[in-house]
Amino acid sequence: MSSASVSPPIVKPRSLSCPNCGAPIELRGFAHTLNAVCPNCLSVLDATSPELQILQKYHSKHRANPAIPLGTKGTLAGVQYQVIGFQVREVHVDGDTFSWDEYLLFNPYKGFRYLSAYQGHWNFIKPLSALPIEVRSIGKPSVQMLGRNYVGFDTVTAKTSFVLGEFPWQVRVGDSALVQDYIAPPYMLSSESTNEEVTWSLGEYITGDQLWKAFQLSDKPPGAAGIFANQPSPVQGKAGSAWRTWLWLNVALATIAFVFSLFSANRNVFDNSYVFVPGTKAEASFVTPTIELTGRPSNVEVAVHTDLINNWAYFNFALINDETGQAFDFGREVSYYREDGETEGKQNDSVIIPRVPSGRYYLRVEPEMDTKPGTAIMRYDLSLRRDVPRYTFFWIAALLLLIPPIVTSIRSASFEAARWRESDYAPAGSSGGDD
Amino acid sequence: MKNPLFLVYGVMMIGLSSFAHYRGWSFSRINEQKISPKSIRDNPGAYRPTYGGYSRYVGGK
Repeated sequence: MSSASVSPPIVKPRSLSCPNCGAPIELRGFAHTLNAVCPNCLSVLDATSPELQILQKYHSKHRANPAIPLGTKGTLAGVQYQVIGFQVREVHVDGDTFSWDEYLLFNPYKGFRYLSAYQGHWNFIKPLSALPIEVRSIGKPSVQMLGRNYVGFDTVTAKTSFVLGEFPWQVRVGDSALVQDYIAPPYMLSSESTNEEVTWSLGEYITGDQLWKAFQLSDKPPGAAGIFANQPSPVQGKAGSAWRTWLWLNVALATIAFVFSLFSANRNVFDNSYVFVPGTKAEASFVTPTIELTGRPSNVEVAVHTDLINNWAYFNFALINDETGQAFDFGREVSYYREDGETEGKQNDSVIIPRVPSGRYYLRVEPEMDTKPGTAIMRYDLSLRRDVPRYTFFWIAALLLLIPPIVTSIRSASFEAARWRESDYAPAGSSGGDD
Repeated sequence: MKNPLFLVYGVMMIGLSSFAHYRGWSFSRINEQKISPKSIRDNPGAYRPTYGGYSRYVGGK
C-alpha cells in the first residue's frame, strides 16, 4: 500500500490582456468567472470567450476604490477567501442617492461569499440554496429560516453603479434588482429579484475591526456611522435579564425586611396620659418616670396623641439618659382643623429617635399652646416604643434597584428606535427610511 | 448572567440597606447633647433645648 500523500493542486490565477486597453487581467475565479472587469479601463469582459470579448465599456469618470484591495486574502469563519470582485450599488430615495459596497470573496473549495459595507457597517454574506418560509404576521412581514424568524426591514431597487474584478454572473453597470431585507440581528436575510431569478443570501454583522484583523490590513477600518439594520444591540437581551435580576433582588430585599421585622422587639416601654391647660402660670415642662431601654442600640419611637380640634400644640421633647446625661432633643407640632367637612392636619404625631443605646432614660416634655383666653385644654397621651421596625432604607433600596433595569430598557428601546427609523416600517414622525 | 454589575450593585444596595436598618440609621434630625440629668429632674423648666434645624412652631391657623 502506498504511503504517499496527495497534495492539493497548486492553483495559479490565469493572466490575460484587456482587448480594449491592453492592461493585464488576472482571473482568480477559474471556470466560475463569467465576467471580468479590466482594472485599467473598467471595461466588462466576457471571461468565457478566449479573446475576452468586450461586453460593456465604462464611460463615467467616477472610479471607486475598494477599501479591501482585490487579491487580498483573509480568513473568515475558519476559511481563507480571496477578494476577487467589487461593486458599488446604490438606491435612490426621495431624490437622494445612497450607496454601499459589495465585495466578492472566493475559495476554490467553499465557493463564493460576499462582504457588504455601508458607512462602516459590514456583513459577511453567504448565498442560500434553501428558501425561507413566509410567516403570517400582523404589521411587518416576516420569514422563517432554520427556526429563526426574520422581520421585514426594507425593500429597495438597487442599481449597480461601479464594478471591478471578476464575477460568476453577468455583471453590468446599470444592472438593477429588487432587494428585500429581513433582519434578526445580527443576521440579515436578503432576497434579490430580477426578471430572471430570485436569490437569497444570509448575512451576519461583522465589525470593521474584525474584518481588518481577518484580512490583516494595516490601516484602520472606516468608522461606523449610525445604526445598521442588523447591527446587534449592545444591550441585546439585557433588558429582560435586568428585570428578572431586579425581581430576584426585590424578593431577597423583601425577605430580609421581613426577617428584620420578625426580630424587632417593637416593645411598648412607656405609656401615659396628660392634660395641658394653656395660659396658666404654672411650669408647663415636666419629666416622666424612668424608662428602661434594653438591647442593642436601636430606635425609640415617641408618639403623641391629642384631642385637639381647631387648635395647635407644640411639644418640646428631650429623651435624657439618667446615667450618662446624653440627651436627644427634638420637637413635634400637632395641629388639627376642621371646617365644613374639610380637615387639615392631624391630632397625632410621632418621631423616631435613631440609635438610642440601652440604659435608664426619662423624657422631658414641654407642651406649648396658644395663650389666648378661651383656648381649650388639651388631653394627650405619650407613648414610647423600643426597636420599632422601619422600612425606610428598604424602600430606598427598592427604588435604587429600579435604576439599572430602567436605564437598560431605555438604552435598548432607543437603540431599536434608531434602527427602525432607517426602515420602511419607521414609526410615524421619524425619518422613515429616507436616509 | 448578563448583568453581573447589576447583581453586584443590587447585593450592595441590599447589604447597605440591611446594615443601615440594623444600625438604626435615620434621616430624622435629632440633636444630641450632654447635660446634667440631676438638674433637669429637679427643674425641668430650666432646660433649654437646642433644635439645630428645627424651627419652633409659632402657631396654627
